[in-house]
Amino acid sequence: MEIMRTEPGLEEKLRILADAAKYDVSCTSSGVDRKGKPGELGNSAAAGICHSFSADGRCISLLKVLLTNHCIYDCKYCINRRSNDVERTAFTPDEICRLTIEFYRRNYIEGLFLSSGVFRSPDYTMGQIYETVYKLREQYRFRGYIHIKAIPGADADLVEAAGFLADRMSVNLELPTAEGLRALAPHKTRETILRPMRRIQSGIAQARLSMGQSARLERAWGVKQFSNGIFREDRISRRDGAAIGTDLHGSVPAERPFQGVFRPKRAGGTLRSFVPAGQSTQMIVGATGESDYQMLVTAQALYERFDLKRVFYSAYVGLNEDSALPPPGARPPLLREHRLYQADWLVRNYGFRAEELLTEERPNFNVFLDPKCDWAVRHLEHFPVEVMTAPYEALLRVPGIGAKSARRILSARRMGSLDFHALKAMGVVLKRAHYFILCCGRQMYPVRIEEDTVTAGLISDSRKKNWQLEHTESFRQLSLFDDMHLEIPPAPEDFLKAAGGQI
Amino acid sequence: MRGYVCVDSLEGIFTGIYRAWASGLGHENVRLFLEGEYEPELFTEYEQVEAEPEKAEKVAGSIRRKISAAAFFHVCRCALSREPDRADAVYRFLIPGFRHGAEILSMLQLPAVERVFSLSRRVGNEAHKYLEFIRFKQTAGGVLLARIAPRSRVLPLVAPHFADRLSGEAWVIYDETRREAAVHGVLEEWYLARLSTEEAEKLRDLPESGDGYEKLWKTFFRAVSIKERENPRCQRNFLPLWMRRYMTEFQK
Repeated sequence: MEIMRTEPGLEEKLRILADAAKYDVSCTSSGVDRKGKPGELGNSAAAGICHSFSADGRCISLLKVLLTNHCIYDCKYCINRRSNDVERTAFTPDEICRLTIEFYRRNYIEGLFLSSGVFRSPDYTMGQIYETVYKLREQYRFRGYIHIKAIPGADADLVEAAGFLADRMSVNLELPTAEGLRALAPHKTRETILRPMRRIQSGIAQARLSMGQSARLERAWGVKQFSNGIFREDRISRRDGAAIGTDLHGSVPAERPFQGVFRPKRAGGTLRSFVPAGQSTQMIVGATGESDYQMLVTAQALYERFDLKRVFYSAYVGLNEDSALPPPGARPPLLREHRLYQADWLVRNYGFRAEELLTEERPNFNVFLDPKCDWAVRHLEHFPVEVMTAPYEALLRVPGIGAKSARRILSARRMGSLDFHALKAMGVVLKRAHYFILCCGRQMYPVRIEEDTVTAGLISDSRKKNWQLEHTESFRQLSLFDDMHLEIPPAPEDFLKAAGGQI
Repeated sequence: MRGYVCVDSLEGIFTGIYRAWASGLGHENVRLFLEGEYEPELFTEYEQVEAEPEKAEKVAGSIRRKISAAAFFHVCRCALSREPDRADAVYRFLIPGFRHGAEILSMLQLPAVERVFSLSRRVGNEAHKYLEFIRFKQTAGGVLLARIAPRSRVLPLVAPHFADRLSGEAWVIYDETRREAAVHGVLEEWYLARLSTEEAEKLRDLPESGDGYEKLWKTFFRAVSIKERENPRCQRNFLPLWMRRYMTEFQK
């Protein structure tokens, strides 16, 4: 008897390759503003647009698929590793283009996120990715967002050529330390990951300079001026590497300098930008024994040294049976991942440094308090802060005050004095902030500012939220219209009848 | 107390403001209401105000000139809100607005300013949600058709985005709460149209092309979720149930 192998249909392929791509967390469509063109499809907004939220609560912004889940590598944490027995299939570039265009027209997605298993060789795979984005941009005239992976080990020129067509590129670091990588991904080395990263960085810098922008990416308002912040340009080169992730601080040579020879001209003769939305990376949380401190310091080094736009964290979901990994079925460390994102945000946008939030002696995050509250209760000497006079940087360090409310305070206090009611209206979360601020010299409630009272107050506030993060199954009220998919809403008379007991 | 009852449109609200201001009764003795959206009070006389384009134009012009273009933007967005006090909120905002000029925009400590800002922000946030969650259906005739049931009147805010993005497509976004549609022809300017009941029904019954992409999208939507991380509460936070009514992936 002959065993037939039939090629799966498009829907089957989409199911397999979307399922295989879902562990890649990055799904942002931000960082680039591009107007539409009459007759062409698509534009892009710098703030990014999410289009749906899947049952796990993660945003769906891009059509996130693998080109193929065939792979020659055998990374232990990965569902698509060579030694796993899973259905394998591959898209053709045209299939991906058509899916992207048709989904985009219906406003399902903001663009394409294309990753891939390594099929045949890194060069072959990168070539396929390049062919897909080339077709999408030049043949289908697609102006929406495109995020692609640079395949570690692929020829540098291929990566460069693809970068002129994409908005964002990413190379996944996967594990914060070289030892972790060696243990779990024996076919990859730290160098094959960092080299393309460095090359993309220099490409971005050169393309930006050639268009009259600063070499380093734009950041949130005010961040480059913070006294202690990681994006202060005059400090970056002088800082020594922390003990961990030293190889990130050393010089990683790009094997060939960025050349720009593949830079296509646009119709009007203007030059195309190179990866205008910056590059990102991803680290797995909880697959190996690294501490939060190691993760955060590594992320910080990536921001400083490689000018990454974002670092993403992915709580490890037990998929494979392996002695080097947590057992399959272990709960993914969601709270830890959440704390890392919070801390990453503080480092990127609030002027904190990783070493302020965690230290080698205290290498893991507080389970009960978010990193900002945790820092604040351990540094009560900085508080209280007078809202009417404190500088922007000091306001941002108050738990319960964010970038938006801090900026509203700055502009409002020039026009007159504030009170707590006005602060609330500006978006300050007073139940956290009131321990740390004075408004016109007054405290909101007479609370003693000492570590124990403040901690107790803050914890009782956040306990419920943390519990919900760990226990996600919960109840809600049924709604006739939302759950039963009723099409025709009741007429006003029906309400009257119902009130009068006639229905 | 004199109450001016305006028509629910930017023109209607601005005309109401003109009349109330010109009445000379004093700001504390006048209030603005919206047709069909108020409970009559015992000691208030009500006066119906018809929309008059010249008067509305005068008010719009003075806001732009004497306050700022940014203030005009917030006032317009506020007028698209569904809160019954939106007309009066604009009036209360203009009183200090004309006194302080452009600086009024940073005076969030004044309750009147704060109210206009929060209404404007709410409308802006909802409009942004609709940029995300509008779903077009491909009809057999080639037109892309979307149905929405928003709380605020978001059409004038979302249509420019789609006109830029889908300039080469013919599309219609139909707001069924207000029976109003944004219509865009291939490479043409978009416009707003009020629809009669029959027109609305005809629009609803347009046959779909049945090219299978809706099914593909549902497949993708299911495949991309990680089972071990399921979290319906988080999903509802970002995507409330009432917004899912016309979204392809939540339909059976």
